[in-house]
Amino acid sequence: MSAQDNEQMLEMYFFETEQNLEQLETLILSGEKGTGFTEDTLNELFRLMHTIKGSSGMMSYQSLASVAHHLEDLLHYLRERQPASVDYSILSDLVLEGIDLMKVELQKIKNGDQADGDVAPLVKNIKEYLQLLKEQNNAESEAAAALAQPDHTNDFGAEADAVIYKAVVHFAADCAMENMRAYSLVHNLQEAVNILRFFPEDLEADESSEIIQREGFTVYLQSELEPEQIKELFMQTPFLRELEFTVADFGSAEKAADNGAQNQKHNNHTAANNNSVISVSVSKLDKLMDLVGEMVIAESMVVQNPDLNGLELENFEKAARQLHKITSELQDLVMSIRMVPLATTFHKMQRLVRDMSKQLQKDIQLQLIGEQTEVDKNIIEHINDPIMHLIRNAIDHGLETAEEREAQGKPATGSITLEAKNAGSDVLILVKDDGRGLNKDKILERALEHGLLTKAPAEMTEKEIYELIFLPGFSTKDDITEFSGRGVGMDVVANNLKMVGGSVSVSSAPGQGTVFTLRIPLTLAIMDSMNVKVGDCCYTIPIINIKECLRLQHHTLVNDTEGYEMLMVRGECYPIIRLHQHFKIKNAVTDLDKGVLVMVEHDKKSFLLFVDELLGQQEVVVKALPTYIKERHKSKTISGCTLLGDGSISLILDVGGFVQ
Amino acid sequence: MARVLVVDDAAFMRMAIKNMLENHGYEIVGEAENGAVAVQKYQECRPDLVTMDITMPEMNGLEALKAIMKIDPNAVVVMVSAMGQEAMVKEAIMSGAKSFIIKPFKADHVLETIRKVLS
Amino acid sequence: MAKMAAQDWMSGEEEDTQKGKYLTFALGKEVYGIEIRYVTEIIGIQPITEVPEMPDYIRGIINLRGQIVPVMDVRLRFKKEFREYDDRTCVIVIEFDDIAMGLIVDSVEEVLSIPDEDIVSLPEIKQSTNRYIKSVGKVGDEIKLLLDCSKLLTEDEMESLAEIQS
Repeated sequence: MSAQDNEQMLEMYFFETEQNLEQLETLILSGEKGTGFTEDTLNELFRLMHTIKGSSGMMSYQSLASVAHHLEDLLHYLRERQPASVDYSILSDLVLEGIDLMKVELQKIKNGDQADGDVAPLVKNIKEYLQLLKEQNNAESEAAAALAQPDHTNDFGAEADAVIYKAVVHFAADCAMENMRAYSLVHNLQEAVNILRFFPEDLEADESSEIIQREGFTVYLQSELEPEQIKELFMQTPFLRELEFTVADFGSAEKAADNGAQNQKHNNHTAANNNSVISVSVSKLDKLMDLVGEMVIAESMVVQNPDLNGLELENFEKAARQLHKITSELQDLVMSIRMVPLATTFHKMQRLVRDMSKQLQKDIQLQLIGEQTEVDKNIIEHINDPIMHLIRNAIDHGLETAEEREAQGKPATGSITLEAKNAGSDVLILVKDDGRGLNKDKILERALEHGLLTKAPAEMTEKEIYELIFLPGFSTKDDITEFSGRGVGMDVVANNLKMVGGSVSVSSAPGQGTVFTLRIPLTLAIMDSMNVKVGDCCYTIPIINIKECLRLQHHTLVNDTEGYEMLMVRGECYPIIRLHQHFKIKNAVTDLDKGVLVMVEHDKKSFLLFVDELLGQQEVVVKALPTYIKERHKSKTISGCTLLGDGSISLILDVGGFVQ
Repeated sequence: MARVLVVDDAAFMRMAIKNMLENHGYEIVGEAENGAVAVQKYQECRPDLVTMDITMPEMNGLEALKAIMKIDPNAVVVMVSAMGQEAMVKEAIMSGAKSFIIKPFKADHVLETIRKVLS
Repeated sequence: MAKMAAQDWMSGEEEDTQKGKYLTFALGKEVYGIEIRYVTEIIGIQPITEVPEMPDYIRGIINLRGQIVPVMDVRLRFKKEFREYDDRTCVIVIEFDDIAMGLIVDSVEEVLSIPDEDIVSLPEIKQSTNRYIKSVGKVGDEIKLLLDCSKLLTEDEMESLAEIQS
């Protein structure tokens, strides 16, 4: 097997196993939540576990295979025997614990470490639980076992005159399931010969495999065929390693093949999702988007080629327009491929809510709305933690205990709503709880303590007070629980969102609850922007930051005492940042009269960037800076880069970086 | 060489079997992720051999096997089973499966089984 | 695929054939070697986009068929004199620890096999360019200085301190 095959298989293994684990988790959680563990659910759980076991076994990842194997046994018992009294919360705990363990092991393998987790304690618990179930449902299971016993009473007499042959078959040592191989052999032979009796008789018993391994499988048979022909039939059996074929020396034998109909139960599985969907790795998508980006560039290099200057090319223009139409459609399509529904992120929260509600003994209902809303894959990765943080906080601090709730006339079960919806080019994610709401006085008190107030409390609006909780340094380590706290606060949430160009706001009503609203852009990958020239370099400024572009002539330049330049525009004073100075660029325009001033705004702060000239407005495909550069670029004035029509690179300015 | 249809709900398993067989000169003419698709693919491409997983959504391997045997009584179907599925294997054999392979499988086991059932 | 164990799949036959092989390049009169397994490609000098606030030896970034790769002038990294780029100047693109980097060198020489027994490791000496050299390989009567990629791509504390002060 080639190295490429290996890598492909490993990638597939990771992808599929992770998907299966996630599906398992979802099933368990929805099973716990009232729908209960129906036959369908158990079948599906069993199937997923079975798949993980099989794949992990093939990859020789023993820890994963072992956990999956024992859980599969447990699920198998449950779905086959359907015992009456089952404590499904133990089942959920065991399966979830198994899922967690398998996830950890998977991560180890991904990191190139040994998957050496200790599965013994969990396996022991699973076995004990299975044992307990068996004991509890003893009577039932015995009855069922009796039913499963095959009926061996149909005996047939041998034909008196014909020769009886005795065949002893030995299989390859490692072929496994010898009893079924023997069964298969008998079944295949029956068409051609009259099988009288075989040993071991009960091929379904577990011991039969061992007996066959040890002593071989013995068959007595009669046939009109020549001995050589019969032997030939035997030799078609896979893994047959040895055949002793002799004439038996007794007169009568009985045929004891099991023709009894097996009362095997078949269950129709409900498919999780049966739409024709294929899975593609994100790196391939990124690559595809890069290529499309390059194609767009190449297109403009062809269409705007200087060699074409001054030529009248009617047909060419027509073809070029067609090409342009196709490339932009392609670009849109590639973008849409990168969009994934928030469902996975949302469903992860169910697990969090479940665990916390058990731990804190608060009854909580999580409602998910709009989980089909789609967001760029890259953004999703950044909002997972903020949502988790907000939900933890809501459960920990927002929701009251059942007693408190009832005392206030609220339902004992607390409710948390996670909702997503589209709003123009943004997506809104709302985290709502019906808890006690934010306490304005406490917030002010704490803000005062930490010196975070910039206004007198009396002058602050309600909203301004609530927003204080997003300031760095507001959270304290006072109320650390296992879930929230940990010393990180809302400022982390705010920061994470800022990183993807989003924002967070909060509203609250005492006694009624709190709503956090996360606003995130649909995509980061394409941005409307203005390209500017400074010296020999090109820079890209997001249009969203640009307010206007000015020439010096019409305004008054102000120099303050420290030598900072400022410009009076309509009665307001704006500082000027000369990009060539800031970035130490040679050959740039230094005379303010000769260049352009771009007024940009970030966080309600405006200033002017001085550049040589404007090159034009364009939609650009945003690329991340290489990690090596990102780590060494301290001031954060560059957020990424993009490729221009001629293949050269333009750096994208992060206007926020200049404010600091 | 023989034309094979690979049926398994796990893409990983399909890939494993496919790589293994292709490396030994077999032609994979189709893949199916459940029994229903398998039956349909069988009718479309009439393979010389089918490897059939047992535990699958929609329609499991046993049902698919029976459906295929109905379409083509001479179909050569090899079940892909795991340890502990003896009862299923038994029923499969009664329903016309030519042999079975056991996961996790080794290449030479699979190849021997296939060579034997095709001979 | 005789045995389907994960280890078997992961073992690259490639790695074996690359073992003990070095790509050598010149800076002035000295010849350096870099393990071939880190080298992804060799290209001529490309238009470079400068990035502000980088150490002088990071010349900027280049567009390698859509991939953005930083480029390092190895002469400047070794605190040698800058030399204008010409048509012999090459960029050796390496990938080490998931970091891609283009190394600008005077010229690329050849790929050499240097058996382990001909390689002498150097004692670690701080504060000299020697710290980028892991060992010395002997090929005939010539000496090749074998680079330590990880040192090339990371700054030590002394260095970052010096940068802050300068």
